[in-house]
Amino acid sequence: MLLAFLFAFCSTVGFSILFHVPKKLIAAAGLVGALGWLTYTYFIISGSGNILACFAGSCVVALISDIFSRAFKDAATIFIIPGILPLVPGAGMYYTMLAILEGDVDKTASAGTETLMMAGSIAVALLAVASVIKLLALMGRKWLTAMKE
Amino acid sequence: MINQMQKKVLILALRAGELMMKSGAEIYRVEDTITRICKACRIPYVEVFATPTGIFLSLDEGSEDSDMHTFIKRIKGSSIDLEKISRINHFSREFTTTDLSIDAGLTILREIANSKPYPLLLRIVGAALVSSFFALIFQGTYQDFFCALIAGACSYTLSVFLDKRETNLFIRGFLCCAAATFIALGLFSAGVGVNLNSVIIGSIMIFLPGVAITNAVRDTLEGDMVSGMTKGIEAVVIAVSIASGVGVALKIWTLLGGMF
Repeated sequence: MLLAFLFAFCSTVGFSILFHVPKKLIAAAGLVGALGWLTYTYFIISGSGNILACFAGSCVVALISDIFSRAFKDAATIFIIPGILPLVPGAGMYYTMLAILEGDVDKTASAGTETLMMAGSIAVALLAVASVIKLLALMGRKWLTAMKE
Repeated sequence: MINQMQKKVLILALRAGELMMKSGAEIYRVEDTITRICKACRIPYVEVFATPTGIFLSLDEGSEDSDMHTFIKRIKGSSIDLEKISRINHFSREFTTTDLSIDAGLTILREIANSKPYPLLLRIVGAALVSSFFALIFQGTYQDFFCALIAGACSYTLSVFLDKRETNLFIRGFLCCAAATFIALGLFSAGVGVNLNSVIIGSIMIFLPGVAITNAVRDTLEGDMVSGMTKGIEAVVIAVSIASGVGVALKIWTLLGGMF
């Protein structure tokens, strides 16, 4: 687990360099990626499927990115983009390709579907977390103005 | 007629929008920035429609005899640069809250536009970090770590080289991933690597369309369906190019009599 955290941290830092994340935010972006990946591995170890694990990991990434974007007063995108990358199903894509080359139609279909579902689960997770945060922020603001009156 | 001041505001707003869009910002952020800059210069009617390939901007002074003005900015090519997004974000906040002059704003924007990404060597190190640590994540050994390090660094250098010559998205993804696969296969047959799959997965991680997927979703969430679809298609094209690059490389390798 600790090794997974370290590996994910280093690779997210690599992505941050490629995408030119501002210098002082690189460590924070790496932390986002590492925590997302940690959640993913935790779910995998505790026996859930790839898709659920990917969903949970992306939720964590979106949530922490939002917290960091408020803490560092910067756009959430700066943390989300490098943070989400370890979860993008590159391995699934590769195994789908291998199955195509072997001419194994069944394996292609199952690996391909799982890859698509994983990409979809990242998308849905980001969407869900962003919507919930938006809603909460709206409610919080209303509550604050109501308190003032 | 449009006066000089408004023309400058327009140029400023469009430049800011163009820079953000080119650096990979989401649509709502671009539209929001442009609207804020125009409103800060007291233009009462602003309507902006941004897509990944162009920005449309309409302005009106609001008086009875004024004409409506519409401007179109075509956007070509994009590369992810999160520092530019961050700096323009700060700039627009500063521009709207303080009374920074328009000329000063244009100078700042020019400075941001000319800011360079990290030096090439550092980026290659970054690419090597990504691919080598991913090889470890996917059950690679320390020998695979070094194979992926070399494959990732070489294929990223190739992608920078192709980028300078303005090759299109598909060809770039295809060639880079084919190169990464060949390097991995070469090292593997030379007896260096242990787990071929983890090396290849590690080195194609650099080119995955993670950004396109993320932005496609965020755009769709904000109701920018056109942009969401465009980015989604971009993600699919990149994914197909990567998969076919790896696939073709593996196929050629077996046809030439190599093992994997």
